[in-house]
Amino acid sequence: MRRVWAVATNTMRQALRMKVAAVFILLLLILLPVLGFTATGDGTLKGRLQTFVSYGLSLTSLLLSLLTIIVAIYSITSDIEYHQIYTVVTKPIRRYQLILGKFLGVVVLDIALLTLFTGIIYGVVTLMPRFIKASEEERAQIDNEFYTARASLVPPVLDVREAVEQLYRKLQADDELELLYPNYSRADILKQLTNRLRLEKRASAIGQPLIWEFQNVRPTDPNRQSLFIRFKYDVSVTPEDEQVYGEWRIGDLRGLKPGGPEVKTPVYQTMRRDPVRKFREIEVPADAVAKDGYLAVGFMNPPLNQTTVMFPLEDGLEVLYKADTFMGNYVRGALLILCRLVFLACLGVMAASFLSFPVAILFCLVIFTTGSASGFIIDSFGYMSAGVGKVYLYTIQAVIQLLPQFDKYNPTQFLVPARLIPWVLIGKVVLTMLCIQAALLLILSLIIFSFRELAKVVV
Amino acid sequence: MEYAIETIGLTKVFSDWWGRAKVYAVDDLNLQILPNEVFGLLGPNGSGKTTTIKMLLGLLHPTKGHALILGGDGTDPKINARVGFLPEESYLYRFLNARETLDFYGRLFGLNAETRRMRIEALLEMVGLAAVASRPVGTYSKGMARRIGLAQALINDPDLLILDEPTTGLDPIGTRQIKDLIQKLAERGKTVLLCSHLLADVEDVCDRIAILYGGRVQAHGQVKELLQKTNKRQIVTDAISDATADRIRQILQEEHAECEISSPMERLETFFINTVVEAQRQAAPTSGAVSTTQIGDFLAGGANKDNILDKLVSAPVVEKPSVGPVRTEKPQPRETVTPEANKDLLRKLATQSASTETTGGAPTKTERVDTVRETAIKQEQIKKNLLDELTGKKTPNAATEKPSAEQKEDGGHA
Repeated sequence: MRRVWAVATNTMRQALRMKVAAVFILLLLILLPVLGFTATGDGTLKGRLQTFVSYGLSLTSLLLSLLTIIVAIYSITSDIEYHQIYTVVTKPIRRYQLILGKFLGVVVLDIALLTLFTGIIYGVVTLMPRFIKASEEERAQIDNEFYTARASLVPPVLDVREAVEQLYRKLQADDELELLYPNYSRADILKQLTNRLRLEKRASAIGQPLIWEFQNVRPTDPNRQSLFIRFKYDVSVTPEDEQVYGEWRIGDLRGLKPGGPEVKTPVYQTMRRDPVRKFREIEVPADAVAKDGYLAVGFMNPPLNQTTVMFPLEDGLEVLYKADTFMGNYVRGALLILCRLVFLACLGVMAASFLSFPVAILFCLVIFTTGSASGFIIDSFGYMSAGVGKVYLYTIQAVIQLLPQFDKYNPTQFLVPARLIPWVLIGKVVLTMLCIQAALLLILSLIIFSFRELAKVVV
Repeated sequence: MEYAIETIGLTKVFSDWWGRAKVYAVDDLNLQILPNEVFGLLGPNGSGKTTTIKMLLGLLHPTKGHALILGGDGTDPKINARVGFLPEESYLYRFLNARETLDFYGRLFGLNAETRRMRIEALLEMVGLAAVASRPVGTYSKGMARRIGLAQALINDPDLLILDEPTTGLDPIGTRQIKDLIQKLAERGKTVLLCSHLLADVEDVCDRIAILYGGRVQAHGQVKELLQKTNKRQIVTDAISDATADRIRQILQEEHAECEISSPMERLETFFINTVVEAQRQAAPTSGAVSTTQIGDFLAGGANKDNILDKLVSAPVVEKPSVGPVRTEKPQPRETVTPEANKDLLRKLATQSASTETTGGAPTKTERVDTVRETAIKQEQIKKNLLDELTGKKTPNAATEKPSAEQKEDGGHA
């Protein structure tokens, strides 16, 4: 361990005295505070904070990712290229200890730099309201909608398999399948029908109500906190001013049913006008939640509208409530970034164990960008037809499973809407990205490095 | 008998990407290097010297055959702990300074902080870099880099020293220092594998040599045997008159022997060093730079340098029948028993006991000290008495202390 640590400290020294690292660090040290003053977002305090956190963390994460890749690769390839490795591996140190030392050095450096930069961002974020002299009202708003960590409740995905089968048979009997879905495979048609039926359940024709019910809603302090209904409208016919009316009822709606229980908690009712295809939030005091954790959200499409109103399947509606502090959430966000950096360190070490510097860098950047756009890539493979699908299932998909999904675990998509990053998510990332993917890479690099020839042959 | 280095049919074949166009860099090499031998591996550029060394140390895998180093594998950390290696260039981390460089290597050997500090200071002093120790190694000249490379190879007090072209880039003074150092280390029982194409260096220090060409040994044996012309005789005299010279020539003609009389030439190396030392001596009172006086001390082979070596090297000087042609004469303490000599003797004995204790029953180590064992046993009694006399009541526990600390203490006494 002492020897591993000796290599680790040497790697850190090399990184810090190497100009690349200095450039990255300097860049961040200058850019982060500047961003704090230039990132204005939509002009409101909340917008400012959201833009800053989003840009600041993304920039930190990107630059540290690049730094990790470069340092991990350079510290190994330069040792081989400039032959310092001759005097190192001939000392009483095993080759795997050398690789572990390099890896440890990069990770410790990452932890230090990540702590520094996320600390700066946190400082700017907490000090910003004071600097721009925000009004009381704005402060109250950001306390509820930014400096918090809100758990999210999404309506459960409906099981419509039976209905889909029925519909399919009906269409088949009526000979409408060919007409509606020409040249589609059965699986594709079923997929289309499933989406259609699910969306039907989330569409409200004029005058028709929709009700979503949630169980186990547990805000930390129901009497002082708020619930947030976050929604996005979609419409069949877009109104001229792109605005839609909506009548909302939030609370224990069981009392409305004939013969329902007596309701003790308040039911909040509001009529509002919101733009279509944009996220909006309705704030409701958290005491609307029944004692047993039941909450219902009702929507009515009033006759003022001339269109059917729909809530898109993925993100049409959710209920948010405070479940943790901003600080706690922020730390978990930083941990997500750290997981990514550790993975990249393993990747860099692996690439450097058998590739030269430029090739290894290229290789890692390809994996990094693929990982940053993994959602897009996985989706596009998902659209392949069934015939190719079989081949895909057993080959490319297996490879894609081994690729990291950086975009899926991007902390800004949680911190900007003040979404809770659950520990379960961290655990999942640690398990898949670190314990499986990164560990495989590291073991591979140890094996390659232990058996390769470190000297070039000169005759 | 265990060899310090042994290669059995060692072969390295280089092929191109397709596996064609084979080049034999090393071809069926069989070397046996004895413990406590200074062995020179000679050969022109590209003759396979460096490739052989890389295979010995596990940096390259042999295509065929085996390479044994201290009886084991070159990648075994236990073996590595007893080897010092200076590659053909001192590949150093440019961003570290001299002290950090040595500290890093010391830590790779798992040496504790105290030992590291002591050895680093001693080594920096020895290679004459103490004054520039906090400058990044990247700014060093080639000669300075060579010196720090050598210091790096000595930090673990190795039993076997592998030096690949140790004198390239060094000025004649530095070259001479390294040659002196190799001899001093050999006196202390170290084995040295010296790889070079600078023949003068090899001739001065090596006991045995092998000449490589095309990856094969072309000639090998004792330097003396290889170079001595047994059908010639050389007579060296003081300056004699021409008349005497004519008489000698007459006598020789009676034996029908050819004869040539001239004034012997001083070696350029000796002349150069004398000149520089003289210049330094004159400049010393005015400039007084630390590094220059240090080189002077080093050259003189005086007490200062021996102390440093004593600090660094656990084994005492082993008296061997003269092997190399150049040996610095030193007063032998055993002949004149003065209190001063007693202290010297004590120091030697103490360091020896420390070394045998720490290394335990390592076979090569015991073999190596065999020559001094007899005298050591005889003087065991004297040593004990002296110990009591000099250090008051020194408890036997002191002997179990780390050898480094003890040596340092001893160095201070002497």
